[in-house]
Amino acid sequence: MSASQSAVRSRAEAVKVSRMFDWFILWAVFWVVLGGYHIHYMLTGGDWDFWSDWKDRRLWVTVAPIVAITFPAAVQACLWYRYRLPFGAVVAVLGLLLGEWVNRYLNFWGWTYFPVNFVFPSQLLPSAIALDVILMLTGSMTATAVLGGMAWGLLFYPSNWAVIGPLHVPVEYNGMVMTLADLQGYHYVRTGTPEYIRMVEKGTLRTFGKDVAPVSAFFSAFVSIIIYFLWHFFGRWFSSTEFVKAA
Amino acid sequence: MKILKDKVVKLSFVALLITITAAMFYTPTASAHGEKSQAAFMRMRTIHWFDLNWSKEMVPVNDTMTISGKFFVFSGWPETVDKPEVSFLNIGIPGPVFIRAGSWVGGQLVPRSISLELGETYDFKVLLKARRPGDWHVHTMLNVQGGGPIIGPGKWVTITGSMSDFVNNITTLTGETINLETYNLENTYFWHGLWYAIGLSWMFYWIRRPLFIPRSIAVEAGKADTLITATDKKVAMGFLAGSLVLVLVSYSMTEEQYPVTVPLQAGLLRGIKSLDLPAPTVSVKVEDATYRVPGRAMQMTLTVTNNGDSAIRLGEFQTAGVRFMDSNVAVDDTGYPDDLLAEDGLTVSDNSPLAPGQSRTINVTASDAAWEVYRLADLIYDPDSRFAGLLFFWDESGNRQMTTIDAPLIPTFI
Repeated sequence: MSASQSAVRSRAEAVKVSRMFDWFILWAVFWVVLGGYHIHYMLTGGDWDFWSDWKDRRLWVTVAPIVAITFPAAVQACLWYRYRLPFGAVVAVLGLLLGEWVNRYLNFWGWTYFPVNFVFPSQLLPSAIALDVILMLTGSMTATAVLGGMAWGLLFYPSNWAVIGPLHVPVEYNGMVMTLADLQGYHYVRTGTPEYIRMVEKGTLRTFGKDVAPVSAFFSAFVSIIIYFLWHFFGRWFSSTEFVKAA
Repeated sequence: MKILKDKVVKLSFVALLITITAAMFYTPTASAHGEKSQAAFMRMRTIHWFDLNWSKEMVPVNDTMTISGKFFVFSGWPETVDKPEVSFLNIGIPGPVFIRAGSWVGGQLVPRSISLELGETYDFKVLLKARRPGDWHVHTMLNVQGGGPIIGPGKWVTITGSMSDFVNNITTLTGETINLETYNLENTYFWHGLWYAIGLSWMFYWIRRPLFIPRSIAVEAGKADTLITATDKKVAMGFLAGSLVLVLVSYSMTEEQYPVTVPLQAGLLRGIKSLDLPAPTVSVKVEDATYRVPGRAMQMTLTVTNNGDSAIRLGEFQTAGVRFMDSNVAVDDTGYPDDLLAEDGLTVSDNSPLAPGQSRTINVTASDAAWEVYRLADLIYDPDSRFAGLLFFWDESGNRQMTTIDAPLIPTFI
């Protein structure tokens, strides 16, 4: 077979090879994104995602969406502009959550015996679906950044409330009021995580009474818009093809 | 010759493989907490733990034990470590093998960070409930913001039974009694599982048709718009609307089921009550102090003045949790960890009772392998070669009083 001849001999064979190529690429993309996104999220979101007693209404709501919109934006840029595939955000978050769950179950529970109800990851899939659908319907990076980034930030807290809400039930413990999440953090000893490094309920946002989460979510959403732009361009650059002339 | 060389190479390779494989099978449990690696000056000049008591050495799952005692926040706190203005009474155990059912400093529950004063002594208690069977090294521990963990003495405690029997029942302020070990677990799995399934179905909608090569060709050919059909848009809108509705429903259901929730609690507890100890009637001046490296012994020349009304004798020198005792004066009956106790490790040149109003210069030697084992000898490599510790004197009635010493330490190598 010469270089000018086709590697396949029929249309049916071409379709089969193409599909096989699809599965290979999808498989590789899933695991590569899982690995990269997971490391990135653990380094930047870290404790806010690890522990229920870090999932507060101020800093977790602000930090987690901002650091999490990165890879979805980049993967979207690649899959949409080169293939018109609108599942970049969802595939990235599916990868991240699989990695997080494997980590939480095998490491946090399997090795160190922290109960899973204390170390579950944050929920990002509703935000990811919104991001993908907005990109698909508008076909515009700017619109996706503004509307999608906003939706990404705003949906985060309500998406997670079904799981963290029950842990915010108050309890009186030896004369002090704590949430069940606080009590988990106190009971399940973390030798390397003293209470003072827990960054919750800090800041100067005190003029909204108890309704802090929506304000934090709006701030997070605004910053998510900016981060979306930035990482979208990373994705575009990363998936671009350059041909150079042979010397 | 070449055959011989090849054989040597092959056998060496096999030997290397066997060595690596054998090494893999040697996986001892890492049970300690690096207490010996912590800089010696930090252990000697920050928190002095004393009168420690581990209430049990064997605890069944679900049973409790306490660690209690006192700690002195050293007045000569090193400048290289931030002062304990924000601290946390922790416990040094390998993960949640116990749960911390309670911890108190000065009688105050301390689930939060606390502010401590230099030169003060505090009593503390930690209540632990056994959770995971095994032999565990249980340390006292104080975390200091800007200073790191300051680990105290540790003792081996055995937990017996089965972890599957462990329960952690809590009654909430809404009147519900729950087992915190498993509470909310099914709910967590349900919502994460459901959203994962929805995410997968969105993926499945797209990956059931050809993906990369034909779509790339179409995009390159300027036919990208043909790749998204009207049906695709309807399905996408359905996914978006469905997701929004589901978020709203899940939020409302949670609000309905848990109408009373409060934010996470955090803050710094100030005004922790220290122990009101009587002022010592003994004064001690360190004339000089040397550490003899080959002999693993510290020698001090002390001038002791008895300002009290009863004769006294020096019975114990304690530093970094290691207790050097003169058994003629005092004997430990608390079951203190053997490796940290030198029952006859304190030698005093003249330890006859020092009468009230008298002053005497004595040579004190604190010698034990613990200097080396606990790497306290590494003090000579610290940037601020000073040592510190507690001296305990006993009077004729058996009353004990404590003084502190803090002085430069000169190493001798011959």
